[in-house]
Amino acid sequence: MANKKKRHRVLPGFGLSIGYTLIYLSLMVLIPIAFLFLKASTISLAEFWETVTDERVVASYKLTIYTSFIAALINAVFGTLIAWVLVRYDFYGKRIIDALVDLPFALPTAVAGIALTTIYAPNGWIGKYFEAMGIKVAYTPLGIMVALTFIGLPFVVRSVQPVLHDLDRQYEEAASTLGASGSQIFVKIILPAIFPAILTGFALAFARALGEYGSVVFISGNMPMKTEIVPLLIITKLEQFNYAGAAAIAVVMLVFSFVLLFLINFWQWKTTKKYQMN
Amino acid sequence: MGITIKDVSKAFGNFPAVKEVNLEIPTGDFVALLGPSGSGKTTLLRLIAGLEGLDSGGIFFNDKDYTYKTIKERNVGFVFQNYALFKHMTIFENVAFGLKVRPRKTRPSKKEIAEKVNELLKLVQLEQLANRYPSQLSGGQRQRIALARALAVEPEVLLLDEPFGALDAKVRQELRHWLREIHQRLNITTIFVTHDQEEALEMADTVVVMNQGKIEQIGSPEEVYQKPANAFVYSFLGRVNEFRDYEGSDAISYIRPHEIALRKFSQGNSILSEVSHIHIIGSTVRIELRRQDTGVLFESEMSIEQYHNLGPVKRGDILFAEFKNIVVFDSISENKKTHEAKMGIRNTLKSKLI
Repeated sequence: MANKKKRHRVLPGFGLSIGYTLIYLSLMVLIPIAFLFLKASTISLAEFWETVTDERVVASYKLTIYTSFIAALINAVFGTLIAWVLVRYDFYGKRIIDALVDLPFALPTAVAGIALTTIYAPNGWIGKYFEAMGIKVAYTPLGIMVALTFIGLPFVVRSVQPVLHDLDRQYEEAASTLGASGSQIFVKIILPAIFPAILTGFALAFARALGEYGSVVFISGNMPMKTEIVPLLIITKLEQFNYAGAAAIAVVMLVFSFVLLFLINFWQWKTTKKYQMN
Repeated sequence: MGITIKDVSKAFGNFPAVKEVNLEIPTGDFVALLGPSGSGKTTLLRLIAGLEGLDSGGIFFNDKDYTYKTIKERNVGFVFQNYALFKHMTIFENVAFGLKVRPRKTRPSKKEIAEKVNELLKLVQLEQLANRYPSQLSGGQRQRIALARALAVEPEVLLLDEPFGALDAKVRQELRHWLREIHQRLNITTIFVTHDQEEALEMADTVVVMNQGKIEQIGSPEEVYQKPANAFVYSFLGRVNEFRDYEGSDAISYIRPHEIALRKFSQGNSILSEVSHIHIIGSTVRIELRRQDTGVLFESEMSIEQYHNLGPVKRGDILFAEFKNIVVFDSISENKKTHEAKMGIRNTLKSKLI
């Protein structure tokens, strides 16, 4: 039976706060995006199709998604590792490392891009060793991944860290009294508990990488068909005053990102839901 | 499996949690580690399980040195205070965990695991909950599943940390009987930690009373209650009245409330006392009185029948109190204890009286 009685809330003002939320989201997110769609619709469907299926554009879509995915994956693994080290161990300089994690957020991306290019260029500090092994980092998709890994680093660390911190050691102790080995405890007990957080961090890092421009343009070399990312193509179109074309490319990217993030969130919701009811 | 604990010490930083403890537990015994919080009872349990490393001393299982064996090698079943059931696994998966993580050579087949789990779920009377998640269970059910999970690995020692601490009184009572039954059926050496003297006296074959990292007394429930080794054991195991010969005196005599008889007329050696409060708690009655000679408050306890036999009593009445079993502990051995410890005891006694 439905309970008609109003539930008591600690803080009043649901009407006011939901209204504010909707207006805020509309002004900051929905209206600009709607305008993007509006701009893209100023060209005919045929023109739209021609723009977004252009060979060069398709290659940039593939490159952007592929490099962003790999970068987010790398961050998911090593971000979790960093979070683990920061939560589970005490060592000298821990606070400094903790603060370093946020640096990719604070640093202007162009600065990061120039720095990474200098280091990973064929004659750079690190790049020369790779060059000796016959691996080119700067001006290749690999370089793009390096830049995207750099800017996405804090997301996984910062989403996993608090969850790992709150994880009760009793579960690990219980598993060890039942005869589980260290790796079994990590895979069967710890990983399931922090997996939703890793997924969140992965989704954030991936989304950030898809839209990244500043740090990539320097290290990628921007060779058409090879190392040209979507945001760069959009800028190129804008510089040619082809606003509708730029909007068209952006719309495809936007829809793709939205679907992907929605799927990741759905997956995360599913994994969390089943054992966290009540 | 018999357990021998020899001169075991463990400190956390500067805090000595367990101090040179010696304990011998025969196979199949049902032992309660009883003590107030901070007495080292849980630390001792965790040392036996291997969840903590000891600073000095040795732990022997059936006279074999287990001091530096890993948790895995000890083959103990451990039930945690908050159950520590794996939230992302069903009840079935929780109970099966210990069997599934075995190396392939010794791991039973899927069918054998299922049989074993179902058998254990039947033992704890929860076979219908196999596919639920821990969040869907009540506290008492979770506790039983935690026990089933610990028993799945066929441990030779069962260790329980405050097993009923988080449950309400009625469920706790049921589970106490049930755990005793399980122990009788399986006859595994069982050690449980509790701060509840009633629980310890009711369930255990052997009660180990601990205080400040040391064992105060080891004995059967009857022994520790009837023949307490010192003032701490005496006062920890039940309600007490404390009397001092004079203010600030070190000589303290103790008496349990049910050992004070109240009458309306003088008989033998009795003390005039004024009734200050009457509490009727179900079948027992507690009467607070004030001694007319010293003005000290004390408490008398009797059954409701005895209360009715006494005749109508109200606040302000003067009764004759006969102290039937005054206990005085050797003040020399008492003096060995630190001043702080004694103060602690006194404070708890006082609070029990007021």
